[in-house]
Amino acid sequence: MKSLPNYLQSQRKRLSLSQEEAGFLLGIGGMGKGEKVCRDESFAREPSLQDALAYEAIYGVPVRELFAGLYQQAEQKVAARAKILNFRKRRKLDARKQATIIQLAAKASANPSKE
Amino acid sequence: MIKNKHIRILAIAPLSRGLGYALMEGPDKLVASGNKSILRDKNTKALAWANRFIQFYQPDVLVLPNVTAADTRRAARIKTLHRKIIAWAGKKQVKVRLVSVTQVRTQLLGAAKGTKFAVSQMLAEKFPAELGTRLPPKRRPWMSEDPRMDIFDAVGLAVAFWPKDK
Repeated sequence: MKSLPNYLQSQRKRLSLSQEEAGFLLGIGGMGKGEKVCRDESFAREPSLQDALAYEAIYGVPVRELFAGLYQQAEQKVAARAKILNFRKRRKLDARKQATIIQLAAKASANPSKE
Repeated sequence: MIKNKHIRILAIAPLSRGLGYALMEGPDKLVASGNKSILRDKNTKALAWANRFIQFYQPDVLVLPNVTAADTRRAARIKTLHRKIIAWAGKKQVKVRLVSVTQVRTQLLGAAKGTKFAVSQMLAEKFPAELGTRLPPKRRPWMSEDPRMDIFDAVGLAVAFWPKDK
């Protein structure tokens, strides 16, 4: 199952917060506090790193779980690149590096990318 | 019976005031739930909302109430809407599963008989963070049904979809 890009709405509802209140906690100023949160929740916008960390602080859930879909996507891309790197670096043996690359590349075979 | 528990299901309960919806990603993970009140041109608007939910949440399975089951009474309008949603899901290649009221009661109350309020209470206990604050007061004979009951109807369908843990 492919995760949803983010689970911000369910986490906000779990805490009974309104979009405006979540926007205020994020430090968004002006009239459109709720709108920005709404756009984040409806996958229309990817929040900045600072906002993502603020979401983690508000909801008490790690960023990788809050943005599970994005994390899955990033993980698959890294794994695919690690496969390429593993192929390139095969001759130069550095045990620690090799182990890291093999471990990352293994994720590509575990979760084959649909790209 | 479903064996794979790593799927996303969307339950939609079309009712007289609008529709209730619930999204689950496993038997114990309620991701989203809510209700949409619709006043005029109900079937067209409800179908548009159902379509919006399907596109937004991209479910693997759509769970609907079995309106043709012997234990179910539904208005002709809702039966028509039900057929339209099934047809729409077919176009979008989303699997549809029908769950009857008896299945919901058997799964949650352990018996085929029981009240909607008892089912709602069970669900509020199962998902206290998500539904605890949304449980309406018990309905009295002189009261209309609370709109929030739509949420519990949809969540009940979603929960009854998963096989019961032994």
